Amino acid sequence: MSLYPQTHAFGQPTYPAPTYPQPGPPAYPYQQTPAPPPPVYYVDPNTFRRDYAARLAQLTINSRPIIQTLSMVAQEYSRWADIVVQCLEAHIRRVPPYMKLPSFYLLDAISKNVYDPYARHFAPFVVPLFLETYQQVDQTTRSKMEEMLLTWRTGAPTGKELFGFITQIAIERGVWGGDPGVADISKAQVLSELEFTLSQKERAVQANAWDHESRKHVEVLQQLRSLVEAGVSQDELRQILAQLRSLSQSTAPPAPAPAPAPPTYPQPSSSSYSYPSQPSYPARPSFVPPVVHHSQPQSYQYQSTDQPKSEPVDLSSLLSTSSSPAASTSTSTAPSNIAGLFSALLKAGIVSATGTPVGAGDTAKAEDNTPQPTSQGREASRAYRKAILGQKIKLTNADITRKRPSIVHFMYERLSVQCKQCGIRFSDDALGKKDMESHLDMHFRQNRKANQNIGRGHSRSWFVGLEDWVHDSSTDYKGKGRADGSRPLNAKASAAAEAANREAELRAQFVVVPQGDEAKTISCPICKETLKSEFLEDDEEWVWKNAVKKDDRIFHATCHSEALTSVQSLAVRLRNEATGRSRSGTPEASSSRASPPKEAAALRTSISPTSESKRAGLKRKVDDYSSSDVTAKNDNDGTPPMKKLALAA
Amino acid sequence: MQSDSKEWVLDAETEYRFELDPGASLAIKLVHGQAEVFGAELAEGKTYLFGSECKAAIFTWQGCTLEVTGHASTEYVSDETPMAAYANLHIAFEQMRVRALRVVHGSPASDDDSDANAEPPRVLVLGPDNSGKTTICKILTNYAVRAGQNWSPMLVNVDPSEGGWAVPGAISAAPVQSPLPTASPANPLGSAATSAPTALSSNALVPLSYWYGHPEIKRNPLLLDRLIRNLGENVRDRFDGDPEAHTSGLIVDTPSSFASGPTSGASTDSRHSLIKACVDAFKINVILVVGHEKLNVEMQRLYGSRLTVLKIPKSGGVVELDLPYRERVHNYQLHTYMYGQKIDPPPGISSAILGGEAVTDLILSPSSSIISFNDLTLYRIGAESMAPSSALPIGAARTVSEMQPVLVDPASSGSGLLNAVLALIAPFNPDEAERYDEEILDLNVIGFLVITNIDIPNRKMTILSPNQGSFAGKTAVVGSFEWQE
Ligand SMILES: [Zn+2]
Ligand SMILES: [Zn+2]
Repeated sequence: MSLYPQTHAFGQPTYPAPTYPQPGPPAYPYQQTPAPPPPVYYVDPNTFRRDYAARLAQLTINSRPIIQTLSMVAQEYSRWADIVVQCLEAHIRRVPPYMKLPSFYLLDAISKNVYDPYARHFAPFVVPLFLETYQQVDQTTRSKMEEMLLTWRTGAPTGKELFGFITQIAIERGVWGGDPGVADISKAQVLSELEFTLSQKERAVQANAWDHESRKHVEVLQQLRSLVEAGVSQDELRQILAQLRSLSQSTAPPAPAPAPAPPTYPQPSSSSYSYPSQPSYPARPSFVPPVVHHSQPQSYQYQSTDQPKSEPVDLSSLLSTSSSPAASTSTSTAPSNIAGLFSALLKAGIVSATGTPVGAGDTAKAEDNTPQPTSQGREASRAYRKAILGQKIKLTNADITRKRPSIVHFMYERLSVQCKQCGIRFSDDALGKKDMESHLDMHFRQNRKANQNIGRGHSRSWFVGLEDWVHDSSTDYKGKGRADGSRPLNAKASAAAEAANREAELRAQFVVVPQGDEAKTISCPICKETLKSEFLEDDEEWVWKNAVKKDDRIFHATCHSEALTSVQSLAVRLRNEATGRSRSGTPEASSSRASPPKEAAALRTSISPTSESKRAGLKRKVDDYSSSDVTAKNDNDGTPPMKKLALAA
Repeated sequence: MQSDSKEWVLDAETEYRFELDPGASLAIKLVHGQAEVFGAELAEGKTYLFGSECKAAIFTWQGCTLEVTGHASTEYVSDETPMAAYANLHIAFEQMRVRALRVVHGSPASDDDSDANAEPPRVLVLGPDNSGKTTICKILTNYAVRAGQNWSPMLVNVDPSEGGWAVPGAISAAPVQSPLPTASPANPLGSAATSAPTALSSNALVPLSYWYGHPEIKRNPLLLDRLIRNLGENVRDRFDGDPEAHTSGLIVDTPSSFASGPTSGASTDSRHSLIKACVDAFKINVILVVGHEKLNVEMQRLYGSRLTVLKIPKSGGVVELDLPYRERVHNYQLHTYMYGQKIDPPPGISSAILGGEAVTDLILSPSSSIISFNDLTLYRIGAESMAPSSALPIGAARTVSEMQPVLVDPASSGSGLLNAVLALIAPFNPDEAERYDEEILDLNVIGFLVITNIDIPNRKMTILSPNQGSFAGKTAVVGSFEWQE
């Protein structure tokens, strides 16, 4: 008889439902092995210790079912957390190097999924354990450990360091050496953090196809990667690293259940949670511009100053200059960083002199809601119109059957650049080059996604609803984008299939009714409806279907998950509002119209913000709020924004 | 080169035609030059796979060399193709598109172009069986998206025996942004979106679909008429909301039964009224009649005064397709809808592209679940034992029963539900006051299900669905299609 929730989806156990949004990379590349036998009911700690150690001994390969089972047992027997922790530490120290990674994955899973009390039990020895292991394993395993380490930065339910700040920084120093502020920064460290941030942004794009902001970040981060790979100075590495951290912090999901707290005003950064003094950093002002905090709700305070690294984004505001001049009032916190990085990017040809990220141009264009194509595009389409209308052909039987078409000219000669992957052609001019570049990016992303998805089942999506189909004005139509680049509605259909799969998994979850409670009716704390119990003939026990147990309360699995998502998306919207950015370009476009060369204006503002630009920032926030309300209706999940607000409240 | 590879050297404006037997596959590589398959250009050096009894042609405007591996039951090169006429059509349609776009942008007309009207091409393609209508629609669509102008023409399929991006029995419309690949008759117009990442957006199309449920238009022409008008109305709504998109125009593929039949009587009436439904619903301004003189004359007489009617040549490569072949294609289509596409390459070929994608990316996992009879509400449209309306005297009042949604009880023996293909339809209007009797006829399709087992004693049935999404509490409509794996 099993005592803990099990999930059944397509015959394969799934990872236990995360009890809060998982900040780290999702599933590890587990090997599929038959699930271990169900655990027994333990009555005394010694039996439990013996059994847990025995089960751990089976963890010799990266097996998802074993890790899952061990993690669930740890959750169920958290009263014996010390035993679990001792067994796991002993196991990691004992096994040969090639077996250590799976055990670390277990440590990671228990710490993230159960968190309390495990994280604080692991914290005292995780530093030496991690670093000693890191020394013993091969390069591949090391990079996997680095990847895991990066997820620990935001692995706690609050979005903070999983094992605490001190622990985190100690491991990072051990791995990459020195303090990022003072000592040398290795290219490897920057690259691995870059990869991490990139994967975060890519997931954001996958989760929300309309997230143009992240889409753009992905493109620029890819450029940045090649820049770093090509080699940059120590100073530039440091700047890039600092920017990456704030960017990645801005992606981390917020706490699941924001506790109402009085608005905490930013304190001078004097808490014990602080990086050692960092002379090479530009002096950080001891306050974050109050304007940001005024617009932040109480529930969003965790990103406050006891964590100096989490100050509002700089890189992103730089990246978004093309569509949002003076994007963030917080740019004033690190002006020289921006100027420095910007010039580095400029030198490397990643941004053009006008401040538009190369390769991000199309996305930027897509954000521009005005139906006018660029003047370049206009010129090209005028030239095409002239050429086509110059063809003396009429829609008559005689013309159609007798004329010699100049099709070769239009299909081949005018479009002399061809994609070697799929055969699609582009014109040999600036516009065509740009389209080709985005097209190749698309192939790159697709290949990458396909590689990440190997072994993962795919399925046909449901067709989209009528309203979505009729109002799909964001696809790349004539004049609005490229022939085959981003395609939100396709992505939306895919996302819908994913969401359907997720929902099925949630509905398959159940909680076993404790003996004697069979007659009891309990209701879901969220929707207040009664949970349906059902007798499972195979397991011969009563269960509540579509249920998840959290803090000794039983929720509908679907309600619980939805509530978490709502909190998350609310926070994302508030964050957008707070930083003065939104994925809709309209407010920026309208507010920038007054200052014609908007890129230049953006750069100037970020270097020396004047009081006017601060006011402009304030005003735009109001615009943004209304615009994000409107665009929220287009969100993937189709949930009206009002409902989310209500749930989150 | 492999021992069973052959090299074909094609002169300019010729095509290599092939037909495949069941189970056979063919791999074609463009070694040199330029080539296209039904308007979609091949990338040099890439190997393209064909299977599932595919019958196709690789055409070249300027000459090319192909390397062909595998066994085709028929293969030859022809220098008689109607491609020049199709290319002329394309250029004439491009003229309509650029003019329409100019008007949307508010640019002034140039001197040499002052008298032209500025409507985008909205084309209806008519023709008898085996005239290559679908191929023409595909070539014209592919040329439009290849023009380098970011056109996104709306491709509409109102031939329920073909099924478009859905399954046979459905009619649909989808905007197309990248060339439609050719690999198998299972998805001649590209594929509907899946959760897999795809390189070509034409393998992730987003159709709007309605369920007719039968291969033959004569089974319920009134229903088909209504669905065509529903489809047209939504396409127009979409265009109204996005005038730039509208400038790409639309192309409508039709059933051959629109073109052929007796010259008088009830079935001619329903044929003409269905053509009229298309002309009205999609605001057709060009009718193309493929290789059918009599129909051309008929259309000239009916529509010549208000829109352009053109007769265009049919390709000599079009093959007669018999009924068993069509039924096998229906099976391929349903299989592909659920399981994706899998074509084993011929011996000696290790890496190849299938329909523009890596082979492994096209395999899908449907979901099978046992549900209670009460979990799904099933309807059939029209009385089951109804005689075709063509058997009725003209004007006979059968309308009500033909369009009547009839509840189907899976428990009644002889419900005919085992192996039935169901169309899962969009939810009814949540506002009770907005509901009406025949609302179900106007709801679009969300997906397709197959009943793979019925357990009457326990009131349960097994449903194959394309993904794990829940459909409990939803409504589905039964037609006359069945499918067994
Ligand atoms: Zn390509
Ligand atoms: Zn609930």
